[in-house]
Amino acid sequence: MSELTPPTPPPVDPGAEPPAGPAVGRDEWVAREGERRAARHPWIGTVEGRLRRVPWWAWLTLFVAAGALMPAFESSGYVRLVAFETVIYMVLALGLNLIVGWAGLLDLGYIAYFGVGSYVYAIFDSPKFGFHVPTIVLIPAATIIGALVGLCVGLPSRRLSGDYLAIMTLFFLELFETVATNGNQIFGHNITGGSFGISNVSPLSFFGHRLAVEHQGIFAVSYYYIAIVMFVIIFVTLRFANLSRTGRAWRSLREDTLAAEVMGMPVNWLKLLSFATGAGVAALAGTVTTALNASVYPLNFSPVVMITIYAMVILGGIGSQWGAVLGAILISVLLQVLQNPGQARALFYLGVIVGVIAMFRFSLRLAAVVAATAVFGVVVHAVAASYHHSWVDGAHGGVAGVLGDWVVVPVQLAPWVGQVAYLLLLIGMLCVTQLRGWLRIVALPPTLYLAGFVWENLMIPNPGPARYIILGLLLIVLMIVRPNGLLGERRVEIT
Amino acid sequence: MKKGIGIALVALIATVAAASAQGAHRQLQTASAAGVSCNSTLKLAMVTPITGGAGFLGTEQLSWAKYAVATLPKTMGLKVQLLQGDTPVEQGAAPALTLAQKYAADPSVVGIIGPSTSGDAEASAQIYYHAGIAQISPSATDIPLTYTVNGKKLGTPAFFRDVPANNIEGPTIAAYITNKLKAKNVVVFDFQEPYSQGLASSISGYLTKHSVNVSHLSAPNTTTDYSAYVTKVPSNTDVVVFPTQQPPAAQTFAEQLVEQGKKAVVFGGDGADAPAQFNHAGDYVANFAPDISGIPSDAGIVAGWQKANPTMTLGSFGPPTYGAVQLMLNAIKIACAKDHGVLKRADVYRNMKKVTIKNWILGGTFKWSTKTNDPLNAHFFIFQIQSNGKYKLVNN
Amino acid sequence: MQFFIQLTLDGLTVGSVYALVALGYTLIYGVLKLLNFAHGDVFMVGSFIGYGVLQALGGASDPMVPVWLLLLLVTGAAMVGCSVLGVVIERFAYRPLRDAPRIAPLISALGVSFFLANSMQLLFGAQQFNYASYNLSGGALYFRGFDLDGVHVPLLRIITIGAAVVLMVILWFLVNHTRTGKAMRATSFDREAASMLGIDIDHVIVFTFVLGSALAGAAGVMFALRVPTFAAVGFTTGLKGFTAAVIGGIGSIPGAMVGGILLGCAESYTAGYWTTAWSDLVVFTILILFMIFRPRGLFGRVDIRKV
Repeated sequence: MSELTPPTPPPVDPGAEPPAGPAVGRDEWVAREGERRAARHPWIGTVEGRLRRVPWWAWLTLFVAAGALMPAFESSGYVRLVAFETVIYMVLALGLNLIVGWAGLLDLGYIAYFGVGSYVYAIFDSPKFGFHVPTIVLIPAATIIGALVGLCVGLPSRRLSGDYLAIMTLFFLELFETVATNGNQIFGHNITGGSFGISNVSPLSFFGHRLAVEHQGIFAVSYYYIAIVMFVIIFVTLRFANLSRTGRAWRSLREDTLAAEVMGMPVNWLKLLSFATGAGVAALAGTVTTALNASVYPLNFSPVVMITIYAMVILGGIGSQWGAVLGAILISVLLQVLQNPGQARALFYLGVIVGVIAMFRFSLRLAAVVAATAVFGVVVHAVAASYHHSWVDGAHGGVAGVLGDWVVVPVQLAPWVGQVAYLLLLIGMLCVTQLRGWLRIVALPPTLYLAGFVWENLMIPNPGPARYIILGLLLIVLMIVRPNGLLGERRVEIT
Repeated sequence: MKKGIGIALVALIATVAAASAQGAHRQLQTASAAGVSCNSTLKLAMVTPITGGAGFLGTEQLSWAKYAVATLPKTMGLKVQLLQGDTPVEQGAAPALTLAQKYAADPSVVGIIGPSTSGDAEASAQIYYHAGIAQISPSATDIPLTYTVNGKKLGTPAFFRDVPANNIEGPTIAAYITNKLKAKNVVVFDFQEPYSQGLASSISGYLTKHSVNVSHLSAPNTTTDYSAYVTKVPSNTDVVVFPTQQPPAAQTFAEQLVEQGKKAVVFGGDGADAPAQFNHAGDYVANFAPDISGIPSDAGIVAGWQKANPTMTLGSFGPPTYGAVQLMLNAIKIACAKDHGVLKRADVYRNMKKVTIKNWILGGTFKWSTKTNDPLNAHFFIFQIQSNGKYKLVNN
Repeated sequence: MQFFIQLTLDGLTVGSVYALVALGYTLIYGVLKLLNFAHGDVFMVGSFIGYGVLQALGGASDPMVPVWLLLLLVTGAAMVGCSVLGVVIERFAYRPLRDAPRIAPLISALGVSFFLANSMQLLFGAQQFNYASYNLSGGALYFRGFDLDGVHVPLLRIITIGAAVVLMVILWFLVNHTRTGKAMRATSFDREAASMLGIDIDHVIVFTFVLGSALAGAAGVMFALRVPTFAAVGFTTGLKGFTAAVIGGIGSIPGAMVGGILLGCAESYTAGYWTTAWSDLVVFTILILFMIFRPRGLFGRVDIRKV
């Protein structure tokens, strides 16, 4: 007898995750493992369900309140300034998330719009040409000009897709850089100040009253609050844009452009709109930043900054607003932390411990690895010390106390030792990812020790390149382990 | 999604924990920091581009600053730690401002070596001045930092530099080209960045005023192969002014001139000064100091630095950094004596002008100018490269 | 006329290096559909490896072996070293992302680029350094050569252009007249169909990376023989090589060769005949116009998608 009724779907626990969707190459049963685990612990499921029902604006209010209260606890101008920069990064990441995450367009020239906003503000509110347009007028004007530039970049690019679009936008960025650097010779007129940039840019002014950038040398916290206000406006606006028809149209554009076009979506217009909006957001961020820095230089808008913002959006999860915010905070703080030796050291050891725990969970193997690493280190240190005391006497600061007997820190590190150690460390790390079982357990302690050695002797004394090495590694590992970032949704790409 | 939030929380907590690991500076930041004991470890911070396009400048200066901090304080009875702040040129003035806030908030930071680039120096001068911290820059040569130009001065009483400003190098080079080399046709290069553009315009201006035929070539900063530019140099050119900051580029340019049969002589600025790398016979180099490996009293210093940095070559940006540290330490010593062992930051810059140093690393005796915060009687030296690759002083 | 010939010579020399780098981009894009942003840094590592071998063999002023052998060894070492590096990068940074969304390997490539450039800076410093090939056998590389209508063509340029031509010919032979080359072409045409026909995709991809990275290594040595190299040179030269590949049509081997030469000549003609300051601007405008009116480049295939 044939079945006339379709089989009933399994009961869905309201507190569980929505189905993750079939990931490429994954079995559906495996993909739904998360749901089943949630269903086994009903109270976690209920808590999570309740949390999920909290409206997004409540989360936003909580977050903004926490941010706004921060200066009450931290009076250091340095921390406040870093917080300001982080908020600017958050705004930039939100704008990039719109173009890359929601509309699916790979824009490698995004930072040029940031530059346009900065330059417009600098040209019209500085002694350069003598213009002093009030901020109330200038900031919206700069935003609109930025959006127009985004439109101009989008116009020739609308027929391109994927990689070609990326190439085109990268060229536009280089073009912007060249024009900005040579802008002091445009038909004999000095418009952008050339490679010297524009300096002495006036601070923000409201109703004739100039908002000082610093009081007695300390960063003026009013700029931080202005940045927060800007962030809230952008976040809410983009949120509504995403929930609207345009947002849904963008999503269709991202998923399958051809299908969207066949369905009648105005694909070109949508692309232009996303470019323009993202560009406007970036230009807005540029104006306030320039007001604070009181200067603008063409080198501010280089591909390195571009890649940093991409890293933020990707780390947080492409397509997720909160992901962009989280990514911006993490990377901004990470880059600052890695500049200070003490904090960098703490971060490294924390990271190693967390990584090892993630690899082995709490088990006998974990204990074995930790013990073996400690013993290995002490033995190597003792051997080196017995050779000659200058091999281990280089430690000072936080190391000497806790880890002095573990890490070998020579007084004078011969360059070849550092180079060989680095190379060995790379080989070791690559091997560890390949080995399984007890081979991995054996290979880990020397590799971990080498990592500590390289960190202490090479990376901490050179925080500049070390930061970007960590960032590069982070990007690679992130893409392999979790390509949809921390808060992103897993997507299936149909090629 | 849940796993993602979990990982995110762990990462956030980890970074925040690390950020507060070193013991946050919970003291209220005040404009004039309270005193710090001269027997404790004082901190000097070096603000320079260690990574990025100008990384070569920062790494060289940093190596000399580290060497100075490792060798000098113990001879003066001080304990000093060197902090390093990276200001990549790709990020503009923002890192300099952030670092200024950071160091202003740390009461044991009593001096800044740097900022190395003029843009960063101008951006952060007011913050340091209000916090009362002295700065000595070994390479920020923009004129308004210590002079009043068109009614505005971008420097402060707390900003010093131990190298002469841009208003001296250009005219010195141009005068030598006009009077000694008697050149009639000169090509001036710039690399679309402030150092070379400032120097190029200063030299061109002088030359044009003295009826020398000047043509201008501008190369993007990222250029590596100058062959097309060499082709463009007219064959009747006598001198090519090449204000690069990379000595190997000057060497390659000179070799390519020979390759294409042009007889022009290359004239480099202080950025091209490096006998190990730019040693093409017949060319010229200008510098604010003679090659310190030729100064007998510096032999020990050079040997010690080379031993500590075996892979680096002696350049021109490093020794003034050593000198800056030396000046700063001397000023600290004077201020410590005046403050009876409890050093107040502002006293360092207030007593800076009292410092004189015999056997100055760049030769002679160092004294501050009475009118500006620049060295007294700073002038530039011109060297000609001999056939054995050595530099010979030709304008004194 | 002499001016023109000299500029053309300059363009050819510079263009040969761009062409070699562009070939690597094109090969890898053809097979993996991936813009390998790390390729420029592989080129940079090649120049560093070459320098290391050069110094180990006594340096340019006092080499232990005859000049021709020295150059061969240096180039060979750089090619081998870069091939190994390319294979390692592919194995660890790109292979796990074979089936991921298109943006993932792209970001991974950016991460590798950051990692390589800054690692080199960490280990060897940020300063520029020279091979000092001027000193090789008393400047023979610069002074010996032949004259072409009054323009001196030195040995070094002959070597650079010649090596590029030889390598391209070898590559052409490998791609068009061997079985693996045929497998490579098949994979670049349609990867799924090729795997269904029994071609081992992993082998083909590794082979492609070996070829492309070896070319980048050779380019690195050719480059550093003439101009100074440094840790950060990978990005700008990579961008130029990548531009050349795009002009010629990404995915097309003759396109990469022609694109490289064209780009080199465009740069030198712009600098020579117009103004040097805006030469970058002209080049980028040409590129943008190309992208608007002929995105597939000179020799590229039109991508027809069937739905």
